[in-house]
Amino acid sequence: MLAFRFLRALTLVHRTTPNSSNAARSRRIQRAAFASMAYSAGPRRAWSRALLCRFHFHRARRRCAGRSRTAGVPRRPSTTGSPADGLRRLVPGGTEMDYCSLLEETADYIRCLSKQVKLMQSIVDSVGPGGR
Amino acid sequence: MNENNKFGLENSHGDHLSNHSSGVSADWQFNTPAVSAAPPHPSTAASLVPPLTSSPFLSAPMAEAFVPGLWNHRTMSVGGSNIQNSTSAISSIPIGRSIAMSSEGMLLSAPPVIFPPSVPHFPADLGFIERAARFSCLSGGSFMDMNLLRQSQSVAPARKASKVVMETQVQNTELSMTRDKVVSLPAAYGSIDQSQMDTQRDRRSSHISNSESQETNFSEGGQEGNIDSSDVAGNSSPSDLGANKRKRTIQDMEKDQVQRGPQSSSDATKDNTETKHKVEQNSSKHGAKNGKDNSEAAKEGYVHVRARRGQATNSHSLAERVRREKISERMKYLQELVPGCSKVTGKAVMLDEIINYVQSLQRQVEFLSMKLAAVNPQLDLSGERLLAKNLRRSHGSPLSIAGFSQEMSYPQVYPTVNPSDTYRRTMNTRLPTMSGYKEPSMQMHNNPWNEEIVMQMDYDANHPPNAQEINRKLDGFAI
Repeated sequence: MLAFRFLRALTLVHRTTPNSSNAARSRRIQRAAFASMAYSAGPRRAWSRALLCRFHFHRARRRCAGRSRTAGVPRRPSTTGSPADGLRRLVPGGTEMDYCSLLEETADYIRCLSKQVKLMQSIVDSVGPGGR
Repeated sequence: MNENNKFGLENSHGDHLSNHSSGVSADWQFNTPAVSAAPPHPSTAASLVPPLTSSPFLSAPMAEAFVPGLWNHRTMSVGGSNIQNSTSAISSIPIGRSIAMSSEGMLLSAPPVIFPPSVPHFPADLGFIERAARFSCLSGGSFMDMNLLRQSQSVAPARKASKVVMETQVQNTELSMTRDKVVSLPAAYGSIDQSQMDTQRDRRSSHISNSESQETNFSEGGQEGNIDSSDVAGNSSPSDLGANKRKRTIQDMEKDQVQRGPQSSSDATKDNTETKHKVEQNSSKHGAKNGKDNSEAAKEGYVHVRARRGQATNSHSLAERVRREKISERMKYLQELVPGCSKVTGKAVMLDEIINYVQSLQRQVEFLSMKLAAVNPQLDLSGERLLAKNLRRSHGSPLSIAGFSQEMSYPQVYPTVNPSDTYRRTMNTRLPTMSGYKEPSMQMHNNPWNEEIVMQMDYDANHPPNAQEINRKLDGFAI
C-alpha cells in the first residue's frame, strides 16, 4: 500500500516538474514520502493525522484555519518527561501527547519510517546506476 | 462486666499475641496514651491498666477489642484517599461495650482513621471471619497454607481468637472451594477485562484476583458506595479510566483487609498487618513474597491492581504505577524496534537512542528523496513494473533489470494492479499531451494529497512535461 502510493506520488512529481531543480523536486518527493506514509498508516494514528493535517493545512489554509487536528488528541503541555522533548519534536503531532502515547506513536512512526526508507532504497536500487 | 471479661480473655490471648511485636503494636500504640489519658469508664480503665505494662500486651487486648469494630471500619474504609470524609463515623462503631467509647476517644486521637458515617452494624464476628478468610484467600495459595499452618500452631484458647481462627480455617477451606465457584462467575468479566492483556500469566492472576475481588464484593455486599462501585465495576467492561478507579477501590479495600491497621491506606503499610492476623505476621513476611509475586502478576489486570508489599496504596500511586508499567512496556517494544538497543539500559539512554534513530531515518528519507529526484523519470511510465521488479528483486533475480529497461521503452500499461491501473492509463493517454494538470481530481481520485502536490507543482511549473526529455532519460537508463 505504501509502495503504491509512494510510487504514484513519485512518478507524479517527476512528471510534473521535469525542469525544476533537483532540490525542489527532492523536497516534493520527501513530502510525498511522508504523505504516503501518513495515508498508509491511516487516521488511527496521531502522527499520521498530524502529518495529514499539516499537508492539508498547507494546501488549503482557509479550510484548516481552526487547526482542527487537535480534536481528539489529548492536549497537554510537555511538562512531563522532559527528556522526551526531543522526541516530541521529531514525531509529528508529538507535542500534544502524553508521554505514554508518545512512546506508542514513536514506535509506529519508526515502523512506518523504516518501511518508507526500505521502499525508497529499493526504488533507488532498482533504478540502478544508470539513472542519470 | 463484659468489657472486663473480654479483656481478661484478651489478656490471655495477648500473651500469645505479644510475640508479634511489629505492626499491630505500631498500629495500636497510639491508643495507649489515649487510653491511659482519658478512659471514660473507670472500670474499663482499671481493666486496661494491667495490660498497659507492656505495649504489646496493650496492643493485643486493645487490638482484640477493636478488631471487630475496626474490621467493620476497615471494610468500610475503602482506600485512604477515599475516606477523607468524616471522623464522626466513629459513632457508627458497633458498640456493644463501653470500651467502644474509649475506643472512640482513642480512635479520634488517631487522625488518619476516618470512618464513613453510615457504617451499618453487622456482626463483628461474621465480618471478622470473612475478612480473615478473604485475607488468607487473597494472599495466594502458599500464603493461605501458611496461614492455616500458623493459625493451627499458634491459636490460643481464647474465645475469640480460637473461634476466629477456626472459622478462618473453615472459611479458608470453604472459600477455597467457593473460590472455584466464584472464579467461574466472573469468568465473563474476566474475559472482558482481560481481553486486552497479553500474557497468560496476567490472565491467570487477574482471573484469580478478579475472583477475589468478586468474593470481596459478594461478602461485603452493598454496604458502601465504594463497594457498590466495585460491584458495578466488575460487571462493566473496562475502560482505562474506569478500570483505574475500580482498581483503586478494590485495591484499597483489599489493602485494608490485607495489610492494614487502622491508619489510612496512604501510610506506609510495610509494618501494618491485620490485628487478627498477627498470628501470621511472621508468616506474612515469608508468604508475602509469594503473595507479592501473585500481587505483582495481579497488577497487570485492568480490574485489579494490588499494591506491592511496602508500597503506598494511594490511588494516585496505583495509577502511577500502572502508567509506569505501560511506559516501560512501550519502551521495551521500542527497544526491539530500534536496532542495537537491546543492550542499552535506562530510560534516558534509550530515549536518546530512539531520538537518534528517528533522526537518522528522517535523514535517510531526505537523502533518498534527493537521489530519487535526480534519478527517476522512468517510473512515471510503468511504476507497477517497477514494483513488480522490486518484488522480483527481493527474490534476487538480476535479469529483472534488463527486462525492466526493455519495458521502459514502451509506454505500455500492464494492468497488473487495479489501483494504479486507471492511473496508468490516464497517465499514458496524457503523456504526449500533458499540459499541466487541469483535472487532478480524475487522476488523484485515490490520493487527495497528490492534488496538493500537483497543485503546488502547477503553481510553479505549469507546462507539459517534455516527452523527449523523458525518452532521453529512458535511453540513458537503457544503457
